[in-house]
Formats: sequence, C-alpha cells, structure tokens
Amino acid sequence: MKLKFRAPLSTALAIGVGLIVLLGYFFGQSASGELTLLGVLRNFFLQGAVIWAAVALIVGIANLASVHLHKIQKNQQAGYSFILLLSLILTVSVGIYDIIQTHLNGELNFQRLGWVFTNIQLPVATSLMAVLAISLTYAAGRLLARRLNLISVAFIGTILLLIIGSMPVIATQAPFLTDLRAWILGVVTVAGTRGILLGIALGTVATGIRILTGSDRPYGS
Amino acid sequence: MTFSSLLGFALTLTFLGLIILFVVVGRAGAKAQLRPIHAFTRLRRAIGRAVESGSQLHLSLGRGSITGTESAAGFVGLSALEAVIRSASTGDNPPVATTGDAGLAILARDTLAAAYNAISIGEQYDPHSGQLTGMTPFSFAAGTLSTIADSKTSTHLLLGHFGSEVALLGDRAERSGDLSLAGSDNLAGQAVLYASVEEPLIGEELFASGAYLHAGATHIASLQAQDVVRWLLIAFILAGVALKFLGVDTQIDSWLGGLP
Repeated sequence: MKLKFRAPLSTALAIGVGLIVLLGYFFGQSASGELTLLGVLRNFFLQGAVIWAAVALIVGIANLASVHLHKIQKNQQAGYSFILLLSLILTVSVGIYDIIQTHLNGELNFQRLGWVFTNIQLPVATSLMAVLAISLTYAAGRLLARRLNLISVAFIGTILLLIIGSMPVIATQAPFLTDLRAWILGVVTVAGTRGILLGIALGTVATGIRILTGSDRPYGS
Repeated sequence: MTFSSLLGFALTLTFLGLIILFVVVGRAGAKAQLRPIHAFTRLRRAIGRAVESGSQLHLSLGRGSITGTESAAGFVGLSALEAVIRSASTGDNPPVATTGDAGLAILARDTLAAAYNAISIGEQYDPHSGQLTGMTPFSFAAGTLSTIADSKTSTHLLLGHFGSEVALLGDRAERSGDLSLAGSDNLAGQAVLYASVEEPLIGEELFASGAYLHAGATHIASLQAQDVVRWLLIAFILAGVALKFLGVDTQIDSWLGGLP
C-alpha cells in the first residue's frame, strides 16, 4: 500500500505557519511595544519566506532557460529564445566576473553589471514604455468602437478632461476646467478608489482565510 | 495588544465564521444566486470552443510576489488555473500558464501537476507549460507576448497582479483576434485593462473568479461572506457620517484616543 504523506503534511505546515504569522500580526507586540513570542516567531517565518523567495529566483531562472531551450529544440520562435539565452549567459558571466573582482580587490565593484543595466536593460524598458503609451492611446480610441456604453463614454470623457485641465494655457483661459479637474481628482477619484480598494481588501482577506483553512491549496496537493 | 489589533482580529474571526456558516448552509441545500458576469459567461463558452477546436488556453498569473500583499491576486489566478484545467482537460493542447515571479512560477507548475494528477491524467502534464517569462514588468510582458502571439492559443485569462504593462498583452490578444479576459488588484492595471481587453474584471470581480469557475463551495461561501462584511462596512461608514453630522464625532474620537 502506498501512503501519501506529502499532501497532509504540506497542508498542516501551511495552516500552522499561516496561523502563527496571522496571530503574530495581531498580537506580536505587547502594550509596551516589546515583541511577544508570537511576534518573534512571525519575524522568523517571514525572514525564512524572504530567503526561500530568493532561492525560488534561481529555480525560476532555471525554468526560464529550460523553456527556451525546449523552444529552440522544437524550433518555435527559436531566434528570440537563442538571443534570450545568450543574453542570460552573458549577463550572468559579467555578474560573476564583477563578484570575483569585488572579492579580489576587497571593495564593491559592479561597474560592468551597472553598464549592462544602464545601457541595455534601461533603454529596452524605456522603449517598451513608449510602445505602451502608443498602445494605450490606440486602446482608448478603440474602446468606444468595442464597447459603446455610458461607462465607456464617461471613461474617455474623464481622460480628455483631465488631460485638457492639466494644460498650463487652460489654467488662465478657462480656470473652471482646472477646478473641475481638481474636483474630479480630489472627490470622485478618491471616492471610487476607496470603494475599489475596500473590495480588493475584502477579497484579499477572503483568499487568505481560504488558504489558512486549507480549502485553497496553491502549493499543490 | 492594541484596540485596532483586537478590531482586526475580530473582523478576521467574523469573516471566518461567516464563511463556515455559508459553507454549512450551502451543504444543507441552499443554492447561492450569483449575479451574471458577462466575462465569465463568455469564458465558459470559450473554454468549450477551445476544447472542440483543439486550441490552447493561456492563463497569466501576473507578476505579484508570493511574499507581498499582491500575493492574493496570484493565488486567485492559481485557483482559476486548476478550475480551467479540469474544464479543458479533454482538449488536444493542454493549457499553458505564464508568470512574472519565480515563486509563483513554481506554484503554477505544482498546481498544473496536481490538477492533472487529480483527474488521473498525470501523463499529460508538460513541465514547460508553467513558465516564468520575465522578472521585471516589461520583460514579463515581452516574454508573455510570444505566448499570446502563438497561433495555438485562442483564449487568454490574465488573472493576478498586473500594472500598466498589461495593455501590451491586451493589445496583442486583440490583434490576434483572441478572447482576452483580465483582472488585476492594481488600480492602474484595472484602469488600463478597462480600455485594452475585451472582458475586463473591475474591482473585486477578480476575487470572485473561483466561484464563477466552479473552483469549490468555499469560493461561493467566501463571496457571500464578502457581501455581508461589505454591508457591515457600509453601515459603519454611514454611521460615521451620521455621527459627524450630529457633531458627536469629537467625543468618540477622544474616547477612542484614550484606548491603547
């Protein structure tokens, strides 16, 4: 007979640690501000989670490399995958070289890695940001064609009003637009944001409770 | 122990009690009425069509860290992933999951493996179907674009923590003529989603996805509990407004200020 201990063990661990962290959040400090036993345990588990997240990063990079190797083998968009793997190997090599130099010289020296980020990653991210701006403008234009209703009209109208209201020339020529913009941002937006955030907070608590009670098991079973 | 800690703990216990109550009521035979959300109705049809046509479903779990406050959105995506696999298990192309966080990628692969094993088709599990596509917002978006552009995929569920970079994904899905359904816990992400995807989930609709995708009775019970607590919060806010109007808010303020 094959016994499956993994699922109940992982569930019990998740519930146990989750309960300690939750109770530590509420009762982690005494009235005088000192850490209680629950507070100490909570900090211990949270620090452990941060370390595990860093280890997960290594596993994640291995997964990324494995997926793209698989794509090269199957000749699915192999060119992009090859560039990605080559960039990964070069960046890791530069990083390792900088770490070795730091240890040999006895002072922090990540100039080469900094160069890679400043001259390659940053421009690529910035160009994607520019593409995003165009993409968003295009999406706003298409919205009325795709979903013509009162909410969509209010959405586009508000965007236009906020953009026009923020123009310096408008502030002198039509001050009521600036006032209207300030009212929308200070009253309508804040009220809507609070409403949505309250809903998200309730959803987050509900998800947390489901995981804490073991009814949701994102760690497999 | 402070007054606000006790209040928070009481709220959590109330929430837990309500979820248990609604699970018990549900088991007793009372059926919960969920308001129709067009996005989920279309998604159910799209899953059916994908199975029939042999195309692939793509679920992106966003880039929320599992140690941060945005983890809940990612966990909701994982529940949806499990439910989608159960619905689409008979298709020729198994669903694929993408994430922008290493921890979430591990959980996605674990969820995929567990879901296939649970329905006794463990041999269909492909370790490459749970992918980490990038570590930064834009590298994640750029990596996910290739999955969306793949002609095999026909439906894209973006459920998790996304920022404004999600517009690139929505735009690509629309240009491919695919159905895109998306929800994020991030306000900027939600605003962008409204304009750029076919079926956006607004507010906390993202957290209701488990209930609509039949992920389990607890999902429906927690949705009902959320509604009760929401009404309690509305009552508290209205009571606060009334107290302010009557001018007794300062006395209550000074009374609460004296508590630890």
